[in-house]
Amino acid sequence: MTTRRDFLKYTTGGICALKLGLPLEALARIVAVDNPLQGYPDRAWEDFYRREFTVTLGDAKGFAFHCSNCQGNCAFRIYAKDGMVTREEQLAQYPQIAMDIPDANPRGCNKGTIHSQAMYEKDRLLYPQKREGARGAGKWTRISWDQAIAEISEKVVDTLAQHGPGSLMVYCGTGILSQGRRAGPLRLGSLLGSTRLYPSSAVGDMFTGATLAYGIPNVGTSLDAWFEMDYIVLWSFNPNVTRIPDAHYLWEAKWRGAKIVVITPDYNPTAIHADQWISINPGSDCFLAMSLVHVVLKEKLYKEAFIREQTDLPFLVRLDNRKLLRASDLLPEAKAAPARKAGEEAKEGEPEVKENNDEIFYVWDRTTQRAVAAPGTRGNKRSTLRLGKIDPALKGRFTVKDKNGKSVKVTTVFELVAQEAAKFAPEKTQKHTGIHPSLVRRLAHEYSRAHDPGLTIGFSLHKYAWGILTNWAQALFCALTGHDVVDTEHQWSLGGIGALSTPKPARFESGFLGEWLSGKMWETFHKHYDDAREFQRRAGLSPDDLVKLAERSRDEKWMANFGEPKARILFADNIFRRNKSSEHYKKSVLDATELYVNVNFRMDSSAELADYVLPAISHYEGWDIRGEVGYHRFVNLTVPPPGLKPVGETKSEWEICRLFAEKIEAVATKRGMAKLTDPAFTVKVDDKDVPVTRDLDTLHKDYTMDGKLNTDKDVVKWLIENVPAFQPWKFEDAVERGFIILNTNAGLTSPLYANKPYRSFEQQFYLRRPYPTLSGRQTFYIDHEVFLRLGAAVPTARESLHPAKFPLKFYSPHTRWGIHSTWRSNKYMLRLQRGAPHVNLSLADAAARGIRDGDTVRIFNDVGEFTAMAKLLPGVRPGTLMMDHAWEPHQFRKRVGMDAPVAGLLSPLELAGGWGHLKFGAEWDGNQLAYESTVDVAKTEGGNHV
Amino acid sequence: MSRRQIAMVMDLNKCIGCQTCTTACKTQWTNRDGREYMYWNNVETHPGNGYPSRWEESGGGGFDDAGNLKPGRIPDLHRDYGAPFELNYDEALGCVTVDKHSSSSDNERPELKPVVPPVNGPNWDEDQGAGEYPNNYYFYLPRICNHCTNPACLAACPRQAIYKREEDGIVLIDQERCRGYQHCIAACPYKKIYFNPVTKKSEKCIFCYPRIEQGLATACAQQCVGRIRFIGYLDDVDGPIHKLVEKWKVALPLHAEYNTQPNVYYVPPLSPPKYDAQGRITGERRIPDAFLIGLLGPRVPEVLKLLEQEREKKRRGKESELMDLLIAYRHEEMFKLDADYYRKPGAPQPPAAAAAPPPGGRSRRVIPIVAFNKKESLEDKLDNLEVAAGNYAGETT
Repeated sequence: MTTRRDFLKYTTGGICALKLGLPLEALARIVAVDNPLQGYPDRAWEDFYRREFTVTLGDAKGFAFHCSNCQGNCAFRIYAKDGMVTREEQLAQYPQIAMDIPDANPRGCNKGTIHSQAMYEKDRLLYPQKREGARGAGKWTRISWDQAIAEISEKVVDTLAQHGPGSLMVYCGTGILSQGRRAGPLRLGSLLGSTRLYPSSAVGDMFTGATLAYGIPNVGTSLDAWFEMDYIVLWSFNPNVTRIPDAHYLWEAKWRGAKIVVITPDYNPTAIHADQWISINPGSDCFLAMSLVHVVLKEKLYKEAFIREQTDLPFLVRLDNRKLLRASDLLPEAKAAPARKAGEEAKEGEPEVKENNDEIFYVWDRTTQRAVAAPGTRGNKRSTLRLGKIDPALKGRFTVKDKNGKSVKVTTVFELVAQEAAKFAPEKTQKHTGIHPSLVRRLAHEYSRAHDPGLTIGFSLHKYAWGILTNWAQALFCALTGHDVVDTEHQWSLGGIGALSTPKPARFESGFLGEWLSGKMWETFHKHYDDAREFQRRAGLSPDDLVKLAERSRDEKWMANFGEPKARILFADNIFRRNKSSEHYKKSVLDATELYVNVNFRMDSSAELADYVLPAISHYEGWDIRGEVGYHRFVNLTVPPPGLKPVGETKSEWEICRLFAEKIEAVATKRGMAKLTDPAFTVKVDDKDVPVTRDLDTLHKDYTMDGKLNTDKDVVKWLIENVPAFQPWKFEDAVERGFIILNTNAGLTSPLYANKPYRSFEQQFYLRRPYPTLSGRQTFYIDHEVFLRLGAAVPTARESLHPAKFPLKFYSPHTRWGIHSTWRSNKYMLRLQRGAPHVNLSLADAAARGIRDGDTVRIFNDVGEFTAMAKLLPGVRPGTLMMDHAWEPHQFRKRVGMDAPVAGLLSPLELAGGWGHLKFGAEWDGNQLAYESTVDVAKTEGGNHV
Repeated sequence: MSRRQIAMVMDLNKCIGCQTCTTACKTQWTNRDGREYMYWNNVETHPGNGYPSRWEESGGGGFDDAGNLKPGRIPDLHRDYGAPFELNYDEALGCVTVDKHSSSSDNERPELKPVVPPVNGPNWDEDQGAGEYPNNYYFYLPRICNHCTNPACLAACPRQAIYKREEDGIVLIDQERCRGYQHCIAACPYKKIYFNPVTKKSEKCIFCYPRIEQGLATACAQQCVGRIRFIGYLDDVDGPIHKLVEKWKVALPLHAEYNTQPNVYYVPPLSPPKYDAQGRITGERRIPDAFLIGLLGPRVPEVLKLLEQEREKKRRGKESELMDLLIAYRHEEMFKLDADYYRKPGAPQPPAAAAAPPPGGRSRRVIPIVAFNKKESLEDKLDNLEVAAGNYAGETT
């Protein structure tokens, strides 16, 4: 028996215990520790955490990326145990491409690293459901897949029979952007001739300013190029929040000596590490851009050789009608190039006409003192930007004789551009932007003088009405300084996919115009922008004229639109979350939609309103591949861990579409609807124009490519074999490593070199190949009648359209807590915020309204209102209300979300079409605007809204 | 003193507040079993309350200058940590039930929200900071257990259940010996120990020792997307830790005045200049030196000056070992571990760990391929973008 004295000898803890008043018995029978700073007697217990670690590693491994509307595309390792995912971790195995460029590891973010938790959350859709009662009532009946597919297919065939192929929308939204998983819905819709929106346009992600200048909206560099630059401007952009995997290149560049400048209304998380943060009044960015142009022109900081060759600034413009001088003005009639003897070349300056004289333009040759046709324009057979002996004038006024012998006075685009830019001295634009002129001049000088500067903008800028003008003026600024191009989120060009995803013509329509029409958004537009005179002064046209312009755009097919669909099958699209004038939009669309099917992995705010919900796989559960993201060169695979148990009855999108194809074929055949003629499209067969037919009787065979593509795994295999930019990787390599690397073929306008970051337009800068524009060059004169009418034939600035009747400009930059609505309502994300939607108020605006941090407030205007918590953020500019975007509407009181007060609005310039390279398609479509509404905020009763 | 000390350096100039480290730790350790409210790694906005709330002001603990343990406070779950709420999925998203007690007159389903409204949380004051627009300021401060050389927790434990491992200095709470008295929680001035209400023991960051023993970095460091974290042994003169802490001395301990000798070090953050009243840019950094000195000690101003000098050297094309270290060209070289430690003769053997394949890891290098050039015109390439958008790229009329 141990005496008290013995006990005290053994344990120093005894002394401690006495001091703390603990009973000695509590410490009986433990081993004394001499000095826990230096050693510990029994460490066997440490296996406790080791076992946990082993469990998370599981018994099966896979690879995955998260294919949602995130342009990150990051490779992950997935661990599973007993058929369930335990954890994910970034793969971090990308090779360094060059010793002097930091590698791309460990690409990933806070969202990707909790999907293992989200995929099993209670909002997961597990089985097909059919609604009972009204839409959105929340009453569902569980049905079998067979029943779901059968009922929906019957209704689809009804719709096709009564209203034709255009009455069906089969749309894969931005919740899935990967080539593998998008293929199913795209292929099915293509075979059926269904309608689909251009997703980028619908969500306001088109860089229309870049298209004006370059003919391509997405240009720029891979983001490791940041590391090479010495001066980086981040304009209306927040890479620390929205380019999480690539942001490190910026701060590494900073340690290399690069200067980083951030231009945003609020002091955002990227500004905190910048060398300079320039605060700007939201919606006034075009004034800053024009001021930069002004300084460069005034102080002659521009590079003449570059702009003479690479831009349309030397082109001649008629002073009488402000139209570009064309061959059709000077030559008697459209004619092909005259017949020549073999080997004989056209005379210098004589146009070699391709098809029509409207696409040949002129410069004033200083050597020969006459107007000569510029090579490389769309209509000119000489398809090079090399000027040869031509020495184009940048300045001056000249006279030419037109085809009728009349004298026509002309000047250069450069003169007109400079004339317009003269209005925008930094001292003059300060009242719009709030920026001190010294900052503007310094920015212009520093950028011009830099060795390798970059100007990157985010997706926010075009959500203002004049984003198009801002971006165009930015392009002009870059061109004048001879520095490269604006960086607007470039994408790789992956060939070979057409045969898989769009085997037949489909009704591809304008996103922004489609949603404006579907949602009848002119109604909220008129409500909010009801001061017609003020609107006219700022926009250059009245509200009525804008609505008419939208109709004209549709009628003249400047923008494609196929009318309102009767049936919608939506994949990965939170349609009622992302559209503005949300309540109004919701009502218009639901009223017009007879059949609404939502295919989703979770019960989001749009699934709640469907007639049928079909449960889809989520990111780790099926095969997938993605490679178009231009920020880096890696093509990631999703390879499910072997033995992974399906979650509920979920199916892959490929399989769901295959079931539809099978059943629609059966139903249609039974009804004698074997083939539907679709005269909206014709294809050439033996030199004749033949209308496309929708072969419903072979739909399943066609969908599966004659039985070759039955599963999502087959699709991934097919893509690896058929996309040239993926060569020479084999499927087996890809499956073993989890990713492959693009080859030189992937670049759009430059090769992708194995050991250098990617830069755009090497073919244009160095090989002098034309840009895909009407002028063949970077374009700064657009004589489309709408541009002329709005005084925007050259880059200019216009005041924002924010109505003065409400005091706060409302804008909603991308959150760091979701990829749009994916993971937005995940509890792990919410626990790191405040659990419920909040708006960010400036201290001044809050104080003026007696609002304290945490108060429940209503945000309102004449279009709608919603309720949220107030968060006071010193970084928010007074006069603005800033809110992290993409909260699910069903997280708000009464399910009325943050887009309720956002009025419908279109940017008139984006409605233009049928001009040169401004032809509707992937390169030219407009933006659903989001940041041009004004609101007010007030405390509301009910205390803390949660 | 343990024989060796593993340590971490975080470059606060690169932290972007993405919280990937937080979610990495969360799924590695604390998404289960009573640990749900714990964030062994957390990222705070400073100036701010931190997590748990106001731990710097009112947490107490640590040692006074005479070496005595100071009294400390045990934080409150709801008020200080923030309860890890569940969401009302069934109510909000499930089938409707007519609620007789609903205040809404038309018995609408409630919105999706926390079952118990939170009054606080680990990141409640994200991006707020201090100051007035346009000269406000903030930055991010990630925190883990500092695995101190003189831990207050170890001194306070009445059962001596806390110890430092001799081979790497990792501080651990013996989960079998601990009885959950929570003196360690009160004593830790960084408030980095948490009481587990399910096991009734105290737990904390373990420096991912099961990963370290296999040559892997901690989850928070390995998965840090901003590439701000370095791991290594303080005595390894070739490693990044020694160079940043001892050689260049740009990595500073947090609140050294707590006297626990923490082994997590921070490179202090630069910040953009302030505006004057007319809107011109001044030469003055917006984070006040005094604030940073309060966190990281009196050497902050000279460290910031050194960082700017070395950066300027690089800008002019000259060499700078310090900048190259902080740039960290190769992710895997940010972590200099010693996986062979246990294999050295005479080294203490860890209890048998299951042989598990390392996550991420460095077992294979992927060979980049060079050129494969299929001739595609610009028109063809633009057609590819049409297809990607969902358009048909073939010939139609």
